[in-house]
Parts: sequence; C-alpha cells; structure tokens
Amino acid sequence: MIGKRISRRTVLRGLGVSVALPWLDAMAPAISSVAGAATTAAKAAAPTRMGFFFLPNGMWMPNFTPAAVGALTELPASLAAFKAIKDDMLVMSGLTLDGAFAHGDGGGDHARSAAAYLTGAHPVKTAGKDIKAGVSVDQAAAEKIGGRTRMPSLELGLDKGTLAGNCDSGYSCAYVNNISWRSDNTPMPKEVDPGAVFDRLFGSEQERQKLRYRQSILDAVADDTASLNRQLGKSDQHKLDEFTTSLREIETRIEKSRQESNGNFKQPDMHRPDGVPGDITEHMKLMCDMMVLAFQMDITRISTFMVARDGSDRLYRNLGVTEGHHTSSHHGRDSKKIDAIQKIDLYHMQQIAYFLEKLKSIKEGDGTLLDHSMIMVGAGIGDGDRHNHDELPVFVAGKANGAITPGRHVRYPRREPLCNLYLSMLDIMGVKQQRFGDSSRLLEGLKA
Amino acid sequence: MNRISATLLLLALAGGLLAVGGPSVTAQPAPAGQPPVPLERRYITQVAPLLGQYCFACHGNGKSKGDVSLDKFVTFASVQADKKTWSKVAEMVREGEMPPSKKPQPTPAEREFLNNFLEELIEGDCTGPRDPGHLTIHRLNRAEYNNTIRDLVGVDFRPAAEFPADDTGYGFDNMADVLTMSPLLMEKYLNAAEQVMDKAIVSENPAKKKIVRISGTSMDATASNSGGNLMVNGECFKMFSFPADGEYEFRIRASQDPFGDEPARMTFKIDQKEIKTFEVKALRGLSTFYKVRLPVSAGKRRIAAAYINNAKDETNPDRRKRGDRNLYVELIEVEGPFNAVPPPPPESHRRLLFVTPSAQVSEESAARQVLTRFAGKAFRRPATVAEVNRLMKVFAVGKQDGQTFEQAIKLPLTAVLVSPHFLYRIELDPINSDAIHPITDYELATRLSYFLWSSMPDDELMKLAEAKKLHEPAVLDAQVKRMLADAKADQFYTNFPGQWLELRNLDEVNPSQRLFPNFNGQLRRAMRREAELFFANIAQEDRSILELLSADYTFVNSTLAKLYGIPGVNGANFVRVPLPPNLHRGGVLTMAGVLTVTSMPARTSPVKRGKWVLEELLGTPPPPPPPDVPALKERNNDGRNLTFRQRLEEHRANPICASCHERMDPLGFSLENFDAIGAWREKEGSIPVDATGMLPNGQSLAGADDLRRVLVERKKDFVRALTEKMLMYALGRGIEPSDRCTVKDICANVEKGNYRFSALVQGIVKSDAFLKRRGKKGTP
Repeated sequence: MIGKRISRRTVLRGLGVSVALPWLDAMAPAISSVAGAATTAAKAAAPTRMGFFFLPNGMWMPNFTPAAVGALTELPASLAAFKAIKDDMLVMSGLTLDGAFAHGDGGGDHARSAAAYLTGAHPVKTAGKDIKAGVSVDQAAAEKIGGRTRMPSLELGLDKGTLAGNCDSGYSCAYVNNISWRSDNTPMPKEVDPGAVFDRLFGSEQERQKLRYRQSILDAVADDTASLNRQLGKSDQHKLDEFTTSLREIETRIEKSRQESNGNFKQPDMHRPDGVPGDITEHMKLMCDMMVLAFQMDITRISTFMVARDGSDRLYRNLGVTEGHHTSSHHGRDSKKIDAIQKIDLYHMQQIAYFLEKLKSIKEGDGTLLDHSMIMVGAGIGDGDRHNHDELPVFVAGKANGAITPGRHVRYPRREPLCNLYLSMLDIMGVKQQRFGDSSRLLEGLKA
Repeated sequence: MNRISATLLLLALAGGLLAVGGPSVTAQPAPAGQPPVPLERRYITQVAPLLGQYCFACHGNGKSKGDVSLDKFVTFASVQADKKTWSKVAEMVREGEMPPSKKPQPTPAEREFLNNFLEELIEGDCTGPRDPGHLTIHRLNRAEYNNTIRDLVGVDFRPAAEFPADDTGYGFDNMADVLTMSPLLMEKYLNAAEQVMDKAIVSENPAKKKIVRISGTSMDATASNSGGNLMVNGECFKMFSFPADGEYEFRIRASQDPFGDEPARMTFKIDQKEIKTFEVKALRGLSTFYKVRLPVSAGKRRIAAAYINNAKDETNPDRRKRGDRNLYVELIEVEGPFNAVPPPPPESHRRLLFVTPSAQVSEESAARQVLTRFAGKAFRRPATVAEVNRLMKVFAVGKQDGQTFEQAIKLPLTAVLVSPHFLYRIELDPINSDAIHPITDYELATRLSYFLWSSMPDDELMKLAEAKKLHEPAVLDAQVKRMLADAKADQFYTNFPGQWLELRNLDEVNPSQRLFPNFNGQLRRAMRREAELFFANIAQEDRSILELLSADYTFVNSTLAKLYGIPGVNGANFVRVPLPPNLHRGGVLTMAGVLTVTSMPARTSPVKRGKWVLEELLGTPPPPPPPDVPALKERNNDGRNLTFRQRLEEHRANPICASCHERMDPLGFSLENFDAIGAWREKEGSIPVDATGMLPNGQSLAGADDLRRVLVERKKDFVRALTEKMLMYALGRGIEPSDRCTVKDICANVEKGNYRFSALVQGIVKSDAFLKRRGKKGTP
C-alpha cells in the first residue's frame, strides 16, 4: 500500500509556518510598553531593509563628488538636497561596473548599464533571442530571505517602457527597462501605478474574500502545468519554468496571506492612490510612499526603484529645461546642457531626499526606519557624455542596524568593483555568498 | 609568362572557352526544375573573367589596393578557403561601392549574376529542403490578451492595460523569446481572469431582495468624528452599491447622549441629498431603529447619517448644567430592492452558460458541457477529458460551499484563463525528436489568427482545423483573403507598421515646444494614424507594396494637412488626398511621423534618418557605434562655429566612424528639407537648406525625391527587408541565417505576384517556416 499522499497544499502550508508575522505586529507590545534600556530586544529584532535606486544617463560628477574624503562636511551641489540627513549618508567614490563596459560588444552603453547595474553581469548582446544578464542583488537576497515577509521583493519605477525598435544599439528592451532580474533570463518588471502597488501591498477587499477559491484555482492550474511540462521539449520546458516559479510564488503568497489574520491585512494610514499622476514629482512621491509603507509595515524588506530607463530622454518641463535628459547628458561641454543636467540631477536627489527623510521620520524600536535600512542610490554610467562605467556616482543612506557608519565620504582604489558593495550588502542581510557578479572581496570602509 | 596571362590560360583550359575582352554572361538563374550550374563551374567560366574585366585593374596584375588582390584565386578551392576576403567582395559589390563610380561598371545583369554567385558562395545555395526553425512557447502579449479575451468571452474592457509592458525583441513586441513571465504578471493574470468572469457572468440576481448591514465602526466619518460615533457636527458615510433600480428601506439604529433642551437630530442623506431628519431620543445602550423607504436607481452611491445639532458645555460654573450631546450611529441596514425588474443577463453570460441545470440536465452535466466548450476555445484545440476533470474539481469546491451554479462555475472558468494552455500558444513536437514536421491544423489556425488578427481563431478556422482542411493550399488562400478583409485585421494594420516604422516611439518624443509650438497630442496621433491608414489601404485594396515607397497619395486630416501644406481638408476625419510633386512627399519615407521619430527634440538627425532608411527600408542596418565615441567638435580650429553638417563631416573624417557614417549620413542629409517634425522647409534660420547627399557608391542625391527614386530602384532590397520584418512578426521569432532561402522564396513569390500585398502575405503563410516546425531536443 502506498503511503498517505501529501498534497501540495500541505507542503505549502508547511513552508508558510516558518513565516513570521509582520515585524511591527509582533513587536508592537514590546515597543509600546518598554522604554530605555529595555528596548534592546526590540532593537535586535528590527529587520534590516535593503533598497536600490537607479538613475539614468550618469551624473554631472563635479556636483556629486565631495571635495575631501572623511567626515562629510561640505556637500557638493547635487548632494545639497540631503543637507538635513547628511549624517546618514555614506558617499562612495571610485566604484566600477565592469559588466557595463563594451568588452568588444560595441555600442549600447545604456542597455548595458541598466542590465549590469544590480547584476554585475555583462549582458549578452541580442535583440531578442537568448537574453542573458544575471541574477540581481535584490533577487539574490529575495531568494534566500524573501520568504520571511509576505512579499519577497517589490520592484518600482516611473516609466512604463513601451519603446519599439531595438532599445539601444542591438540590445533588447528587456535590458533597458529592467534592473531587477530573478534569473539570468527573467527580468522582474516594475510596477509604475501607485494605486496598483497599494492593492498588492494591502489587498483589495474582494481579494481577501477570494483567497480560498484562488487556492483551488491555482491547484488546478498547477496540475495542468505539470502535465504540460511532461509533453514539452527541453527548451520549451525552460520557458515554462518561468511560469511554474511565478505560479508557485503566488501560491505561497496566498498561503501566507491566509495565515496572516485570516487575510485581514493591517491597513495603512493612507488612502489608495488613484492611478498614475501626470505630474512626475507627485508620481515619484507616491511611489516613494509605497516603498516606505512596504518597509514600515514589513511587507517586504527588499525593493528596487528605477527612476527612468537608461537612455531616457524625458523632458523635465517642470525644471524649465528645453531638451530631454539623454540629449542633455551628451553635453559636449555645452554650458546650457550642463546646466540642464545639473538641474535634473539635483531634482532627482531632492525626490530621493524626500524618501530618505520620510524613512527617518518613522520611529521603530529605539531608532528610525532609516537606521534599520540601507538604501543604495546610483547610476550605471559616470559621465553621461563619456559613457564611462568607472568612477560611478554612488551613495548608501542609513545605518543598516549598525552595520554601516554613515556621515562620511570614502574613496576606493581604481576599478574597485561595485559588486563588492553588493556582496557586503548581501552579507549584512544575512545572505552569505562567496561571490556576487565580479566581486573580489567584501567592501572595506563601510564601518568607520 | 606573366601572371595574368597564366591566369587566363588556366581559366581557358578549365572552362573550355576563351573569352578575353568580353566574357558573355547569362544572368538568368537556372530555369525552374533544372539543377543550377555548380558554383565551381560558374566561377571558372563566368565569374573569373568578370573579375578580370572589372577588378584586376586595381586588385590584380600586381596591384593590391586595400590589400586585396583577386588574381591569386586561380582555383575554386582557393576561393572557398578565404571566405573572409570574399565576404568583403560580396558586400562591396552588393552595396555598389565597387567598382568605384569612376571606373567601368558591370551591366545590371552582370552585377546581379555576380551578386547571386557571391551570396551562394558565402551563405550556401537553396537546393535542399527549407529549415522551418523552432518556435518557443509564446506567451500572449498585451494586445493579444485583450483581443483574445474580447473574442473568447465577449467582454471588451482591455484588462491588459494594467499589465507590465511587454519587452520587445527585433523591434517587435510579439517575440516568444522575450515574452517572459513573472510573479507580478501572474498576479495580474489572476486578477484579470477574476474580473473578466465577474463581468461576463451574472452569478447573483442583482434584483434579488437582500439585507445588507453596515456597522458604524466600518464607516468613514467627517470632522473629528470616528466611525458612527458622532461627537461633533459631521457625518458618517459609506459608498454603497445599489444592484438594481427599485425601492430600498433604510433602517438606522442610533442613540444619543442627551444634553440641553432638544434631542440629537440626525439627517439621512443619499449622495448629499437630504432624505429625512430624525429626532433621536433613544439613550445610549437603548438604541432603536429609525426607518425610511424610497426608490433609488442602480449604481454606487454615498449614503450618510449626519449629526446636525451638537451642543456642549463643559465649563459652566453650575456643574449640573455641564454636558455634551452626542449621536451614535450603530448600524445602517439596507433592505431591497422591492418590486424591481431584473435586468437581462449580458450576452457573454448567455454565450458561456449555453446550458444550465434543469429538470433534464443535471448540474454536473451542465458544468461539464460548459467547461468542455469553453476550455476548447480558450486552449485553441479540443480540451482533454483529464483537463475537464481537473476543472470539475474546482467547480465542486464552490458547490461544496453551497454556491449557486452560476457562482461555482465561475471558479473553473477563471482557472481556464490562468492556465498555461490559454496564456501561451503551445505547439507540441514528437517526444525527443529533432525532426521537421508539419504543425497541426489547430496550431496553424492559431498561427494564422495571431498573425493577422492578434487574436484567437474564430469558429470558421476552428471548424476547418477540426476537418483537417486548413492546410490545403486553396483553403489557406481563401482563409487569408477572408481574414485580411475582416475588421479584426485592423490589429495587423496598426501593430505591424507601428513597430516596423518605429511609429510607436511617437508617444515618447518631445519636440521642443519653443521651436515647434504647433506640435501637440493631436498632431502626434494624426502622424501615427496616417501611416496606419496608408498601410491598411494598400493591404485592403491589395495594391503593390512598392507604393509604400512611392505612393502619390496619402491620408490626412486637417491637423496633418496643415503641416503638409495641403489646402481644403477640414475636420478630424482622415481623407485620401493626392500628393502633387511640388509637395515632395510620397510613401513612408516622407511621412511626418517617420521624420519626427528620427529627429532630436530641437533639430533633425541625418544620422538617425540615414540609419532608419538602412535598417527599416533596405534591411542593411549599420553596426552599432564603437564605444568611447568622442563628442562632435562645436568649433573650428579658428574658433568659428561649425554648422551641424560641418560637424558631422568632421566626424566622418575619423576613419573609425567613417565606414558607417558614410553610409548613413548622406542618406539622411537628403531629407534635410524636412524639419524635426516633418514640415517642409527651404531655409534653416536664414541659411538655405542643403539637402544634397550621396550614396556609398558615389551616386549623388539632390534631395528627398532623389532618395525616393533610388529606393525604388533598389526595390529588391526593400522587398527583402519588408519580407524579413513581416516574417518575424508573423512567426514571433527573429530571422536566422537558416531562413535565408525561405526569405528568398517569398521574395520571388512577391515579384511573381506583381508586388501585390497579398503575394507577400500568401508567400509567408505558405512557407515551410509557417507551416512546419523543427523539434528541439536536448538542453536549451
């Protein structure tokens, strides 16, 4: 006689049991009832959050790089946006994204810079077939520790990416439009509608009622998929894998949602945003709010934010500039264009400052949400006119629960891999790896 | 004996003929049915003499310009051993760069003969069977998903608008290899499937009377109030969906904290309209119901209970006179509708639930019939018993919960819409085989309908597939004709040219408002519409595809007519207008949309325009620029500002850049009479526009009309380029070197069919690449 058959549902439930309740819910009594020294327990329990911002087309570096290394005193013009939180900033000079260099592949720096940004990979030059970048740092973390929260990770952005044609000199648009990659060939598309993010984070009323039926529906689909898989050749199976893993993630998430207070998610102190605002400032603000909420309510600990696809020629009318971002970034030392990119850089920094200040305004345990975060901000190109991928503009904000000592400017040796920073960030998240991308070692100097 | 005479002697011996001074060439391909002349024989007898005549002056007889000497290739084996040199020769001859324009030129027949020889030499001949290639399972893209849902369910609300954008490959968004799946998208598919079914099937009688209770705590409140506890003047409210027109009774359970000389007063409102004001005398803990009944029409409305007479005195020196009047709304019960007439269920409901349980039909049997039919349509082939059994299990889950038939059947129907068999177009191979085999008629129906309609096959296609007749050539011809005439083919007429001509990028361009104040959303849309209508017209009237290059008519509305300087067109509707020569327009090349997407915000870009012509019209894209390109100099060495043309010429003086820019820029310069939004201009500022250009072979171009003429002369290249683009779109995969012969076949079919649009589509549909597939075993 065959042993009792264990249903897939049981297995999923088993997985779900190890999932903690949202950190805040679990810790709430501790925080409210204790004070002073007694908060060490809460402090130890505050999870570390990891966020990544991506900026297109490089930066005007003279306005980004502080004059001296050591303690941050004078902030250069673009970083002046962070005046109020300069002691939470660790500015890093000299990091290199080697995968974004041509290495004999010719043009296409924008595609490469976006595809390499969080993966460290040198993307395979193709307009479509056999796409290959690498697993991105956020997804490397999500795979290992994403299961601790309802959503393993959250991918955000501002532009939808609907270009036709090859996006950049023979590179598929998949490279240009995405920074987060779940596997070598599967990008994680970003959500651009703040209302839709809200629904994903907090679940609409209907959705909560439907969780149980969804499980039955997905069970049937999973059976369909398994039987289909047996009929396919190897290369098609490979393609169907994307479907199978996506399906499994949704199933796991539903299982977790049902366990969390029977699907009654804790609701935020904010109304659902209504669609995509036409105004970019408002749009970015709302998307940042969503990321703050996701971190604050511990729905996820890992998030990426693509401010624009690389090579974006967005026209910032609100800044009074007359040419698009990409056009301006090829300044050729033209003072009008340089003026334009300075304005655009500062503007981007101001928006990110809003996000960081908001993290700092939220008390958590004995510190702030920013104290328990590390938010990496940067670009895959240094000077937009030269398309260099060394000397990148990079900073990390937040203390990462004490793993990082901000308030400083550190200069690294020539061609120090950006992936060393990622290896260290993974390490801080408790994801121990020997290597990430082209890393050579853990990055030194994160702590003073 | 000197070298050249030795060569000629050898040639003469090998070929058995001596034709010094005038080798005769018959440029005709081998007549159909006869084997072509072997390459070796062709080389010795015909090619080598041509080389002697046109090339040896610089590349032979001891001369080796550019390090190339061709007289050393005495034997065919030596030719085959040096593909690198011969690839270069092939490119030079094909592009007309050699022989240089100042030297004696081969006749067109000789040139074509050489081209054919060189192509076969480099890429192999086309004598063997065609390789149809392998199609990966293909996820529906956003347009395909929307259209398929519309045709399958009869609900047209475009759920895919909320899906993440599909990535593109080879310039198109329907490439199977880049249509990936992610958890985000999976979640959206699930949401969309549920919404589709909620809209398609009415599972509850909306007119059935029921009671809904809204607790005070679940309501929102204004002022400083919270839920139904109204401490100050203000209201508690909730959005409420009234399912149908009818009478509704509202019962509000409320109480008060008394204070002063009157009880708390509560006004009940619907959508801010005051319905009735009650005096709430019941004390807290002893609440009672206050009722009102009235007709309300269907829809979402705001219902509210307002507290209107707050009174409070907590500082009165006389403690007995202190107090605070409050109103407590504990519950609002809504009962209704009374006496409502149920609205008829939507068409989709009747279509999907074509059988319902009755005295004769068991619930189980009805569900099975509904699911078998729906899954068969959704999967684009008959559903298997095992598949329907799985769906029946989902139906049973709903039934166990005591749901109605309509409620429970929605669950398996939703499951169908998230099944991989629906979301992917799947073609199966014999297990573990690399063999080439014809696809099934169902798979063919699916390929056809997604090519021409971007949607699922209709009943007629499915019936022909069921009868295994669809692949028969006559049936296929008739179906293609029918499909192109169907309104659904509009998807092809917009999706294909929008991407081929890069016009979708119009949504992303931002021409400078200062320089082009007349550019706005209307003009942007008009530019795109022009190209779509123009393409659709050629397709529907089955005109020559060469008109895409050279038509003397186009379609404009008043907005676009103004830009083009065409008088007498009024209104937003598009009309067909002739294009007299003085407008210098005709074909896609000079369409404002094309000229705009190939410009920068504030100026034209001859480089982009030239690249566009090479890539989209001639199918010979230049390689991408090398890395670390230095910026263009703004000033001359003497400090004078350079014109843009001068700056680019400076650029082309750099040998690294020159090889490609010499191909791109002169093509683009010939379009300089069109500004960055495609309007005609004679001057740029105060300087007359210089629209002269040159082709790689040295032929000069006097402007856009000249360029158009040259493109028509090179129609062979154009036909091949368009064929490749359309074949990619039709198959959803990139073109591989192994497709060369297929492309050649289709081009021949187009030529034979007088360049008619239908000859191109028929050629594609009847190619092995479309009708067959190769299995792919082993690791990917």
